Amino acid sequence: MTVVNLQYYAQLREQAGTSSEQFTTGASSLRDLYEELRVARGFSLSADALKVAVNAQFSAWDRPLRDGDTIVFIPPVAGG
Amino acid sequence: MSRFELSGAAVDTTGQRDRLRHPASGGYCAFEGWVRNSNEGREVDGLSYEAYAELAIAEGERIVAEAIERYGVTDARCVHRTGDLKIGDMAVWVGASAPHRDEAFRACRYIIDEIKHRLPIWKKEHYVTGESDWVACTHVYREHEHEDHHAHHHHAHAQPFVPDYSRQTRLRDVGEAGQAKLAASRVLVIGAGGLGCPVISYLAGAGIGTLGIVDGDRLDASNLHRQTMYNASDIGQYKAELASRRVAALNPTVKVRIWKEPLTAANAVEVFGQFDLVVECTDDMRSRYLSSDAAVVSATPLILASIYQYEGQLQFVAAQPGMPCMRCLWPQEPAPEAVGSCTLSGVLGPVPGVLGAMQATEALKYLLGLPQPNAGALSLVNLIDLSIQHLPIDAANGCVAHGGCVAVARRALARAVDEEAIDLAFDRLDDAVAAGFRLVDVRNAEEWASDPMPVVAALQVPSGQVMERAGEFADGRFLLVCASGRRSGHAARLLRDEGMQNVYSLAGGLNALRVAG
Repeated sequence: MTVVNLQYYAQLREQAGTSSEQFTTGASSLRDLYEELRVARGFSLSADALKVAVNAQFSAWDRPLRDGDTIVFIPPVAGG
Repeated sequence: MSRFELSGAAVDTTGQRDRLRHPASGGYCAFEGWVRNSNEGREVDGLSYEAYAELAIAEGERIVAEAIERYGVTDARCVHRTGDLKIGDMAVWVGASAPHRDEAFRACRYIIDEIKHRLPIWKKEHYVTGESDWVACTHVYREHEHEDHHAHHHHAHAQPFVPDYSRQTRLRDVGEAGQAKLAASRVLVIGAGGLGCPVISYLAGAGIGTLGIVDGDRLDASNLHRQTMYNASDIGQYKAELASRRVAALNPTVKVRIWKEPLTAANAVEVFGQFDLVVECTDDMRSRYLSSDAAVVSATPLILASIYQYEGQLQFVAAQPGMPCMRCLWPQEPAPEAVGSCTLSGVLGPVPGVLGAMQATEALKYLLGLPQPNAGALSLVNLIDLSIQHLPIDAANGCVAHGGCVAVARRALARAVDEEAIDLAFDRLDDAVAAGFRLVDVRNAEEWASDPMPVVAALQVPSGQVMERAGEFADGRFLLVCASGRRSGHAARLLRDEGMQNVYSLAGGLNALRVAG
């Protein structure tokens, strides 16, 4: 199991009900982790609609997870 | 029934007043304009009015109808004199009756102000010296008008405004040289809403030479909690016009150009080319993509921001080779349902204020040549925990794989030019039905219940379901309708991509119909 720090923005923050949380996962990649979270947190957006960053750098979805990673999920927003 | 008259004879005020009597009216308000014995220091002993009658009557009718619509008064009328008048004669009469006094006063005021600006009527003044002069109508009523405007007008002539930029030129990095750079700069602001208000205000105050303002919307009461340049009395007016008046009041030395329609894929590159910097402040994803593409193709730097509830995103697009554009990060326009909006998700008023102030700061830094260490990053601003996170965008992972930003942007603009034929404007849905369109309400079920369409739709298909129900659009021509035209436009483009050339979108959505009345 891997322990990661998650940060949510915009719609994801609203749906998760929190800006950040520590999460223990058996997922091996960012994509698997997000699919797990979609069920656990009720996210409506698919991964394709999002950007993901790990430790303050944008990342590809197939990146493997490491203990202590800080992972940020970012949806596009349009308000003005 | 005509509500505006040109009259060669004295105005029958009793008759006019009686025609405004109505059981629903709790009061009535009138304004009379009289011929005065002096104008601009010259003694006047009479005058003559000449009107371009056909045009004046049509325009006068329009003005009175606008006042009735705008303020919801029961009825309103106006008479303007033509021919020869003496001192003390009535030159114009305006009356409005309404359930409550406030609307009556406001409608009356609106009519006289608009008559003054818009009616093609000329005045020939006869001076006591025996001379006479033609004076344009806008001049006539300015002299008749309320005293503070008059006083201000003359004060402005006596002492031209000299801006004082000392508080910013004192900064070592600005100085007189920096101020000269700002004065020589041309900045285009797209969107005069929550983000645009601080951007326009700060750039005007800083003494930018030319400000362009693009906004096709009219002010709505729901804008006022975050759009700080406007007044409650401005509701219903074009934001671009209101913003240009605000700039003129704040810093009359700034030159302003306005566009009261959104830019299009056909003209955006050319317009961008007339500016040194563009600041994208709309709440519209499509406009953001158009701006990114036009910025890249015209090599005009662009500052993007967008907000969601309590947070925002900021990106500086340098529009230089090797620097990332918006498509490097988000290659394709997301579905409107995925991005949220102030209307559906809500927003705390100061949030766009903070992001707009950041855009204005970036704009000044760029124009002054100050360092922008995070210019190549997406900045995430979270106003719940007051954090800002910068995520560098790697241009090597972006448009490069598809031929580079410029090639990608050119292709996107060419496609968008084709797609613009999808958006059709109608004043009334009945007109669309008469033109043979079947109406499709693509809003969600909640909106169908809370805000029914003025004309019953042939189909109700939420925008997120149009692709799976595409089979229902086989026969005939379809006009997709939503609140703003965004969801319907996106859905229509998706269906067009599937080869369905019989699908269109109502430009501006139901909101545009309400404005058109």
